[in-house]
Amino acid sequence: MIADIALALPEIFLAVAAMVLLVFGVYAGEKSTRFVATAAIVALAAAIVLVLGRQAATGFGGMFVVDAFGSFAKILILVGTGLAIAMSLGYLRDQGIERFEFPVLLMLSTIGMMIMVSAGDLIALYLGLELQSLAIYVCAAFKRDSTRSTEAGLKYFVLGALSSGMLLYGASLVYGFAGTTSFAGLAQVLQGGGTPIGVLVGLVFIAAGIAFKCSAAPFHMWTPDVYEGAPTPVTSFMAAAPKVAAIALFMRVFLVPFGGMVEEWRQIIVVIAVLSMVLGAFAAIGQSNIKRLMAYSSIGHVGYALIGLAAANQEGVRGVLIYLAIYLAMNVGTFGVILCMRRATGYSEEISDLAGLARTRPGLAAAMAVFMFSLAGVPPLAGFFGKFYVFMAAVNAGLYVLAVIGVVTSVVGAYYYLRIVKLMYFDAPAEPFAANTDRGVGVVTVAAGLFTLFFFVYPAPIVAGAQIAARALLP
Amino acid sequence: MYAAIVFLPLIAAIVAGLFGRFLGDRGSQIVTCGAVITSALLSIVAFFKVVIGHQPTTVMLFDWIVAGDLQIAWALRIDQLTSVMLIVVNVVSAVVHVYSVGYMAEDPHKPRFMAYLSLFTFAMLMLVTADNFVQMYFGWEGVGLASYLLIGFWYERPSANAAAIKAFVVNRVGDFGFALGIFGVYLAFGSVDFATVFKASPDMAGKTFHFLSWDVDIMNTLCLLLFLGAMGKSAQVPLHTWLPDAMEGPTPVSALIHAATMVTAGVFMVARCSPMFEMAPFALNVVAAVGAFTAFFAATIGLVQNDIKRVIAYSTCSQLGYMFFAAGVSAYPVAIFHLFTHAFFKALLFLGAGSVIHAMHHEQDMRHMGGLWSKIRQTYVLMWIGSLALAGVPFFAGYYSKDAILESAFAANSGVGDFAFAMGLAAAVLTAFYSWRLIFMTFHGHPHDHHHFEAAHESPPVMLIPLYVLAAGAVLAGIVFAGMMTGHHWQEFWGSSIYVAENHKVMATFHDVPLWVKLAPVAAGVLGIAVAYWMYIRDRRVPAGLAARNEPLYRFLLNKWYFDELYDWALVRPAMRLGRLLWKGGDGRVIDGLGPDGVSATVIRVTRRVVLLQTGYVYHYAFAMLIGVAAFVTWYFAVGH
Amino acid sequence: MQALLAEYLPILLFLGIAVGLALVMILVSIIAAKQRPEAEKLSPYECGFEPFDDSRKQFDVRFYLVAILFIIFDLEVAFLFPWAVTLGEIGVVGFWSMMVFLGVLTVGFIYEWKKGALEWE
Repeated sequence: MIADIALALPEIFLAVAAMVLLVFGVYAGEKSTRFVATAAIVALAAAIVLVLGRQAATGFGGMFVVDAFGSFAKILILVGTGLAIAMSLGYLRDQGIERFEFPVLLMLSTIGMMIMVSAGDLIALYLGLELQSLAIYVCAAFKRDSTRSTEAGLKYFVLGALSSGMLLYGASLVYGFAGTTSFAGLAQVLQGGGTPIGVLVGLVFIAAGIAFKCSAAPFHMWTPDVYEGAPTPVTSFMAAAPKVAAIALFMRVFLVPFGGMVEEWRQIIVVIAVLSMVLGAFAAIGQSNIKRLMAYSSIGHVGYALIGLAAANQEGVRGVLIYLAIYLAMNVGTFGVILCMRRATGYSEEISDLAGLARTRPGLAAAMAVFMFSLAGVPPLAGFFGKFYVFMAAVNAGLYVLAVIGVVTSVVGAYYYLRIVKLMYFDAPAEPFAANTDRGVGVVTVAAGLFTLFFFVYPAPIVAGAQIAARALLP
Repeated sequence: MYAAIVFLPLIAAIVAGLFGRFLGDRGSQIVTCGAVITSALLSIVAFFKVVIGHQPTTVMLFDWIVAGDLQIAWALRIDQLTSVMLIVVNVVSAVVHVYSVGYMAEDPHKPRFMAYLSLFTFAMLMLVTADNFVQMYFGWEGVGLASYLLIGFWYERPSANAAAIKAFVVNRVGDFGFALGIFGVYLAFGSVDFATVFKASPDMAGKTFHFLSWDVDIMNTLCLLLFLGAMGKSAQVPLHTWLPDAMEGPTPVSALIHAATMVTAGVFMVARCSPMFEMAPFALNVVAAVGAFTAFFAATIGLVQNDIKRVIAYSTCSQLGYMFFAAGVSAYPVAIFHLFTHAFFKALLFLGAGSVIHAMHHEQDMRHMGGLWSKIRQTYVLMWIGSLALAGVPFFAGYYSKDAILESAFAANSGVGDFAFAMGLAAAVLTAFYSWRLIFMTFHGHPHDHHHFEAAHESPPVMLIPLYVLAAGAVLAGIVFAGMMTGHHWQEFWGSSIYVAENHKVMATFHDVPLWVKLAPVAAGVLGIAVAYWMYIRDRRVPAGLAARNEPLYRFLLNKWYFDELYDWALVRPAMRLGRLLWKGGDGRVIDGLGPDGVSATVIRVTRRVVLLQTGYVYHYAFAMLIGVAAFVTWYFAVGH
Repeated sequence: MQALLAEYLPILLFLGIAVGLALVMILVSIIAAKQRPEAEKLSPYECGFEPFDDSRKQFDVRFYLVAILFIIFDLEVAFLFPWAVTLGEIGVVGFWSMMVFLGVLTVGFIYEWKKGALEWE
């Protein structure tokens, strides 16, 4: 038992920290938000240290798996959450919703994500998924007085409940036909081939549930509305850490328990990937709201990441992990810039307001340009390498068509990313934004920009880390 | 320490480049000068440790690229060859940094200038400390970039921009060869690491690539490709045309980049790759022939130029030719020795010319100068020292290295060697002639422009002290190092950093050439000086008379053998015509019409439809999810599994 | 088939007992008690609402808050029953697991109390 607890120490630590902060916050009142947020970031950092200290093992009767793969994803998740909290305070204050519950909710969601990526059983999977989602439902509706925010929260909640239902239904089908919910057990039962159709149907439902969480088409419909309606810091969080968790979960579920059925499930993953890429590329073009645009962008990027899953080999897993790490940085940075789009009259979300930014705020425009080029996958920025590694994996796995579609949709996608660059650098300036006064946003954006810009100089740690993680998942 | 030598200039460049506005002019100058001077002092320490203490080492920084078989690291290879280059680069760079403080005193963009200089220094250090071809290429391109930025430093001048672009484009030709060479090395050896490649070179000698229907010799091909890169960077015929134009940059830049360091990168590369070149006899002959021809060719053009900096630029071109043909006859230590001495006296000449230009308020045409010696005595003396060293007058630095080069060419005892010897000797006469032509036209005779002459003034100490440092080098570098670097025990000095094949005995035999060969260079120098004295001091009508009588020849030389015109006619114009055709016809009509315009219209149509799907109703969304699941399930039932 | 049905016998018995008990209670009340029916008394009880009314009617959202808070602790008690029954078998680990669970709920309880969620005004 003690060994089990030691194994889950990062999660337990975070949970205890979240509860302590909750009680502290409720006693200290609203003015404690800044302190709670700082403490939350410290706790997340400490959790990273704890994650690094874990040895690979299985605990809680096979429910909880600690391995390099999970640890890699957890570090990304913790970093993503930490950055999201660091960027949120200024916005929350300006909007009059600076409540101490916000960092606590994000921490709880993070615990859920960590359980997701460590799940060794369908039940543990569901537990983590629900904990993650519940906290985010609340966050999406965090600005209670805004109809858009509450609408976003409600929509996400209703559709999330539907997806959870599907996932549970799928899990029960799998259990019914395979007789076990543990991943190790499923892997053993399913390795021989001759899979019963029931398992396959169950898998489709599970895939639908997870695809919903990482907003892959055709389960993506909530994404634009929720991204647009939720407060911007919440959107920046949703677009980063939960996505990492859901895709990592995707890989663990499909490659470990259902690893023997690659040929079968690859068909749907390929379809989901293609639909996501195409939709992400085309639908984004017509958007005028930057957050909606980022929603479609994230759908497209999930499609690219799923290419690596479809490859279903070590190289693919490595590619996806690298992709996620890079995507996290680009995305956090872009939202940092969006959080700087502030005038005396309030926050702006219109793409047209970026016009001529290069003249009014050259630094901000340069940062945005870096992120846009990187999201478009222009070498030598980080985004290029993310795509490069997954496309390579797809080519080596013989999935030429998928790789070609990926490249083509990247080109289409480049159109709307570069349009923003054009708008910033060549159009007549719109009314300038107010100077950024929030240090958190500034630091995070600059850091993400430098990472994106200089990733190619020294990619070795992330590539090597992803390699080790991939080997842990697919020996 | 080694890492500090390389990275201090980078840090200084970043600080001065990004925060120059906050530091102010003086602050940026202090930061950059301080960093480079520290690096220079450290490189002297490194020299003693590595060369005198016989401790070559490789400092591993970290992995750079690990992709399958391709493993590239950031590592600093500090061997004897590198430490000599470190001295050259850092000392000259430090001197130039300090000099620039005075020379650029009136420029409004001092922090930018200092940052570029430091950035260049970093890139050059990266080049000479590279441990593998790719890292070297990084430095190689880095110096190219810095050179581009510095040539075009005065970006208000169209000519400076044109020169910068020309330098960049001509270098691309060479760099393309270099890049192909690196690809070839990886193809042949499976590695780009120097140690691995050099170790495997002897086994590769004589093997062939199968390319299309030919079998080509691997080592010769690779070495020729690498040498193409060296030709571009080191301004060898026919890729030399950018160097004279590069004189558009500020004079300290010319001294640092276009005399002492960057242009010698090609020579350094050939020496660094000596284990490969030794296995490629044909490539070596090409190196020697190109070098020898350039040495003579550039000297002839130098005879008739009137711009003080251009004379020195052609001289540089010519001296680089010397270095190459020394390398081409397998006398790599001699080539590097000349590189070493040349760095001092050529930088001295350039900075001295800068001092003259400074005194003349940015007048560069020698025809408008004259009689300056009484006005700027210190500069005058320093220019004499530089010219004496350049002309190879005994006991100055150039004497030792140039003599050694000509003797090696003679001792090579081959067709190419003899050609090189003849060309080199002829060039030596010309060198002495144009050097003293420069001195006589500038400092003697009557002032041609009284207004400038009256206003001429000696440079401030911050410019003169660097000149004295270089002058000390120009006097002493030869006498002190000749024995160590090129003597009978050269191997003790260079260790394993330079490899010479067993059957190439030049390094051993060149000391024993006949007496007349030893004396010939000195005689050539004296002859050149005497002719210059006769033509420009004793009888001033002679040059004009000669030019008038040999009008075609004079025109030919003045127009630099019509190389620029040839390129313009053979390459630039057809390329422009082709470009225009492709632009108007190919791109505008065909591709834009069918491609972007057509495609973008389609994309927008698709987008409109896709966006219609997003209605905002929760039940539509839920319906889409259910449809998705139903479709997948149906698929499996229909297809089976 | 026989065996399968036999398994459901206890349920059948319970069903019979339930129906019987209900009948007995109604009968006894009819026989023993005085009957004074009126409209309010005869209408079904539905905490504070009109039983037959438009379902899309505004009501105080605090009802839901109380209901949800109630459900949490209701479920907690539901958990405690099986735990109490099997405590002997699940041992120390089981005991402390429930303590942790209760602790977590207590944190939530403290939070809702301090937030004033339990006060009507």
